[in-house]
Amino acid sequence: MPTTGRTMTASIGNRHFVLRRLHSLLGLLPVGAFLIFHLWENSQSRFGAEHYNREVVEALQGLNYLVPIELLVIALPLLLHAVIGLAITREMRAEPIRYRYARNWAYWLQRLSGVVILLFLLLHVGMTRIQGLWTPAIRDDLYGYMQTLLSNPGFFALYLVGLLASVFHLANGLSTMAIVWGLTTSAAAQRRFAWACAGFGVLLAALGVHGMLGFLS
Amino acid sequence: MRETPSTIELRIRRQDGPDTPPYWETFVLPHAPDHNVVSVLMALREHPLTHDGRRVDPVCWDHNCMEEVCGSCAMLINGVPRPACSALIDQLEQPIVLEPLPKFPVVRDLLVDRSAIDAGLRKVHAWIEIDGAWDTHEPPPRIAPQQWAADYLYSRCMSCGCCMAACPQFGAGADFVGPAPLAQVRLMNAHPTGRHDKTERLHAIMAEGGLSDCGNAQNCVRVCPKAIPLTTAIGELGRQTTIQALKDLFGSS
Amino acid sequence: MSAPGAIVVGGGLGGLWASLRLAEAGFPVRLFSLFEVKRSHSVCAQGGINAVLDTKGERDSIEQHILDTIKGGEYLANQPPIKSLCEQAPGLIGTFARMGVTFSRTPEGGLDLRLFGGVKHRRTCFAGASTGQQLLYGVDQQVRRLESLGRVEKFEWWEFLSLLIDADGRCRGILAMDLRSLEVRAFPAETVVLASGGFGQLYAPKTTTSTNSTGAAASRVYQQGAWFANGEFFQFHPTAMLGHDKTRLMSEAARGEGGRVWVPRTPGDRRDPTRIPERERFYFLEEFFPAYGNTVARDEASRAIWRVTRELGLGIGGGDRVYLDLTHLDRRFVATRLGAILEIYRKFAGSDPLDTPMEIFPAAHYGMGGLWVDFERDADGGMRPGSARNHATNIPGLYACGECDYAYHGANRLGANSLLSASFSGRVAGEAAANYLRGLDPARPALAETVIEAERRRQETINQRLLGADGEENPYTLHQALGALMTERVGVVRDNAGLEQALDELDRLEARLARIGLGEANRWANQTLIFTRQLADMIVLAKAVTASALARDECRGAHHKPDFELPIPEGSFPGDPEFEDYRARWRENNTRWLKTTLAEYAAPRPRIHYQAVDLSVCPPSEPRDYR
Repeated sequence: MPTTGRTMTASIGNRHFVLRRLHSLLGLLPVGAFLIFHLWENSQSRFGAEHYNREVVEALQGLNYLVPIELLVIALPLLLHAVIGLAITREMRAEPIRYRYARNWAYWLQRLSGVVILLFLLLHVGMTRIQGLWTPAIRDDLYGYMQTLLSNPGFFALYLVGLLASVFHLANGLSTMAIVWGLTTSAAAQRRFAWACAGFGVLLAALGVHGMLGFLS
Repeated sequence: MRETPSTIELRIRRQDGPDTPPYWETFVLPHAPDHNVVSVLMALREHPLTHDGRRVDPVCWDHNCMEEVCGSCAMLINGVPRPACSALIDQLEQPIVLEPLPKFPVVRDLLVDRSAIDAGLRKVHAWIEIDGAWDTHEPPPRIAPQQWAADYLYSRCMSCGCCMAACPQFGAGADFVGPAPLAQVRLMNAHPTGRHDKTERLHAIMAEGGLSDCGNAQNCVRVCPKAIPLTTAIGELGRQTTIQALKDLFGSS
Repeated sequence: MSAPGAIVVGGGLGGLWASLRLAEAGFPVRLFSLFEVKRSHSVCAQGGINAVLDTKGERDSIEQHILDTIKGGEYLANQPPIKSLCEQAPGLIGTFARMGVTFSRTPEGGLDLRLFGGVKHRRTCFAGASTGQQLLYGVDQQVRRLESLGRVEKFEWWEFLSLLIDADGRCRGILAMDLRSLEVRAFPAETVVLASGGFGQLYAPKTTTSTNSTGAAASRVYQQGAWFANGEFFQFHPTAMLGHDKTRLMSEAARGEGGRVWVPRTPGDRRDPTRIPERERFYFLEEFFPAYGNTVARDEASRAIWRVTRELGLGIGGGDRVYLDLTHLDRRFVATRLGAILEIYRKFAGSDPLDTPMEIFPAAHYGMGGLWVDFERDADGGMRPGSARNHATNIPGLYACGECDYAYHGANRLGANSLLSASFSGRVAGEAAANYLRGLDPARPALAETVIEAERRRQETINQRLLGADGEENPYTLHQALGALMTERVGVVRDNAGLEQALDELDRLEARLARIGLGEANRWANQTLIFTRQLADMIVLAKAVTASALARDECRGAHHKPDFELPIPEGSFPGDPEFEDYRARWRENNTRWLKTTLAEYAAPRPRIHYQAVDLSVCPPSEPRDYR
C-alpha cells in the first residue's frame, strides 16, 4: 500500500485527537452536568436560609467520599478542560469585526467566555469552597455568606457575568459538540440544534439568575 | 440603486516583495459600465498613475479564467475574501479597498502564495487510488443521482483559498489544513472505490492540523464563492472520525 | 545512467494526462506551469465530453462519431487519429470515472448523456455545468498522488522560454524562467511534451479564453523550427457576453430554447431595449435564415452578427454588440432550462436576462490549428498504440498535445470534442514520449554545456534588454491593438486585401514593441516583463495565423473568405445541371485546397507550404447539404 508523502496519520493513538475529543466530552460530562446540577441546587435559595443551609449545603457535605468526588469528578475534569481550552484559545485569530456572522461571534465569545469563566471560578471557588476550609462560618451559613456577598452590587454584577458566561459557554459548546462528534451535519440540522441549545441556555440562565435572586429575598 | 459615480477609486495595499513592509496607494480611474475588479486592474496596469499623478509600478495580481472557475483572482475586496473577476464595480462601495488574500504569504502586491492548499490536499490523501490511468474495460462504478448531487457540490472547489483566508484557525504558525482539503476528504470518502482508503484519510485528518483544529466559526461557508457546504462536510467528517475512533478503540469486524 | 527524464510544459488536461502516462511508464516527470496546474484553461469548458456510450437507446455508433468529427472539420483533419480518438473515448470516460470525476448520473446511477450541437444522438457525458473543471481535477488528483510518491515534480510559477536543441537537432530539455525571481534556468531532459493550450488571447478582449492562453509557448517552439499547422482555422462562438477583460461564453442553449437575436432597425438607437417596439427591431437571423431562424449553426450566426454590426453598422449604439433576448419567454421556463446562463450573466453583467435582453458578440473561442504532429497508421486504419511517432512534432524529442496541437478538428471543431481531444492526445503523447525514451541510444552523448550556456545567455539578454527598456510604447496597449487587429482582419470574415494589411500591421506592431518602455522597476515578479515577452511571441504567432489565412483562398469550416464562397445554387438539387456544375466545382476546390497548411518560421514572413490529408477512413464524396 503506497503511503509515502502522507505526513498525517493518526488515530486514537494520537494525543492530539484524543485530547481534543476529551476536551469536548469533558465540557458536557462532567463539567456541564455539574453546572446544571449546581445551578439547580442553588436555585433552592428561594426556600430561605434554613432550607438552603440544611438541604443543600449540609446534604452535600455529608456525602460519602466528598473530597475525592470533588477532586476527581469536578476539579480535575474542569482543570483538564480549562488547560486544553486555553491551548485551543491560543490558536485563535478571531476577526469578529470583519466577519459579523453569528457563528463567528459565537466562536470568539466561546473563547472569551472560557477565559472569563476561568478567572471567575478562581474567585468563586476561592471565596467559597477554599476559604471555607479554614473559615467554618462560611460552611455553616453559606446562605448568609452569599447573601452578604451578592448584596454588594459589584459582586452581584461579577456573579452575573460569571453565570452568563458559563451558561453561554455550555450552550454554545453543546451546539458545536454536536458538529464535532458528527451528530448534526447539514446546515439545517446544525441550525435547529443551535436553536435548541439557545433555548436550553435561556432556561439555564433563568434558573441561575433565579438562584442568585433567591439569596437576596 | 446608488447613483453611478463618474470615477472609480481604488485603495490598494501594496508590497514590493515577501519581506518588505506593505504600503497603501490610491488610484482614480474613469468609470465605465460593466467593470469588475480584474478589468479595472487591467485598465490600471496600462496607466499606473496614483491619484496624485505619480507614475508607479503596475499592481501585481493573479488572474486567468475570469469566469470564477479557476480560483486565481481571489483577494480581499472591501474586507471580504472573494474572486475579483466576479466583483462588479457598480456593486461595490467606493473607495474600493483591495488587499492580498490574508493568511497566505504575500509574493508581491495582491499576489499570494497558496501552495498551502496543495500541501493540504497532499496531506489528507485527496485522491482515489487507481491501479493506473488505463482502460479497464469495465463500466464505471454506479453512483445514485442523489449521492451525485451531494458529491458534486464538493467537486466544484477551485482552491481559491477564500475559505482559508476567512478561517480563524488557519494561518501562518498554525497546523490546521483548512476547510478546502477537509471537504475533499468528504468527497473522496464517498466514492465507490475511494471508500477503500477511507480509514487512511480519516487517520490523516485525526492528526495534528486535522479536523480537530476546526473551531466551528463557520466563516468558510459564508465566504465560499461556490456556496460549497463546507460545514456540512466538517460535520460529516466529525461523524466519520467518531465512528473510526470507536472502530480503532474496540476493533472493527 | 539513471532513467531519462521527461518534461511536460502545461498543466491542463493534456499536460496532466501526458505526465500521468509518462510517470506510470516509470520515467521521472518534471511538470512546468505558469500557475497552479488546477487553474488551467481546461476548467472553462462547461458543456461536456463526447463518447459513444449509446446508453439512451438511440443506436449511436462510434462510426457515427468518427463521421461527425471528420465532417465537422470539413475533412481537413487526418482521419486515423480521429478514428482512434472516437474508439477510445468510452474507455477514457471510464478511466475518468474511476478517478472520481463527478459525472452527472441517470436515475440508475449510470453516466448520463446529453445532446450537443451538430449531432443527432445523445453522446455527451457531462458533470453538471462544469465538466472541464471536473475532468481536470480528476487528473490533477492523480498527478498529486504520483507527486506524493516522488514520481512527478511540479514547477508551478515557471514559464517555458525555449527548447534546448542539440547538434543533431534533437530536443534535449528546456529553458525556463522563475516567474518570481526571473531566474532563467536550464532543465536538461530527453523529451519534452508541450501542452501549452490555445492562443485565443491573440483576439483579446474578444475571446472566451483565459488570459494565459497566449500561445506564447507554441510560438516559441515554432520559432525554433516546429511547424504550425492550420493556424487560419479559429472557431468563433457567436454568443458571448461582452466585457472589458474578456467575453464570456453564453451557451448555445440560449438560442436553442427560444432566445431571439436582434438589433434596433435605426442605427445608433440608444433607447432602453425594452422600450423599442417590435416593428423597430431587426430580427436578422430570422430574416437571413428563414428555415433555421435563431438556431442557425455557430458559424452562420457569427457571420450574420458580423455583417449586421460591421457592414450594416446596426450594432447597438453603433458598436460591436447585438441583443440576445429571452424576455419574451416564460420566466419559469427560462429559469429551469437556462439556469446556468442566467447565473453567469447576472453574476458578470449585473443585470437579469429575464428583465433586459443580453448584449452579445462573437468571440474567438478555440483554435483548431496548432503545432503539427505526426501519427503512425496501424493495420486497422487508426493510430498505432504506443508508436513514438504519435503526437511527435517535426523536432525529434518534442511532442505536442491538447489545444496547442492541430490534430483532430480540421477546419472546425464539434462541440464537446475539445475535452476529448485534450485528454486523449495527452494520453497518447505521454505514451509516445515514453516509448521515445525507451528507444533512446543508451550511449548518447550528454547535451553540450555550450548549448545550454548559449541559450541561457540569449534568454537573459532579452530580460536585461527589457528591464532597461524605456521607450514610449506600452505592452498592454499594444496587446489591445493586436486583439483589435486580429478581430477586425483575421476574424469571423476575411478578405485578402485585409489580410495583406494585417501582415503589414503586425510588422508595425513588432516595430512598436521594440520601442516599449517597461514601466516596472521592481525585478521581483515583474509581470510586465513576463507579459512583454509573451506579447512578442504572440505577434509572431499572429503572423503565422494571418499568413496561413491569406494563403488559403476558399471557405472551409471556420475560415471564411466570401470572395471564394461556393454557395449551393438555390432551388437546385442533385441531378439538376446547376447542382452538378456546383458539385464539379466543389470537387475541384477540394483537389486544390483539401490539404494541411504548414507555417514554417522565417523572418519577416513565415513560409507556407502544404501537406496532404490522410483521408483513409472516409474520403469526401458529397458536398454537405443542410437543406
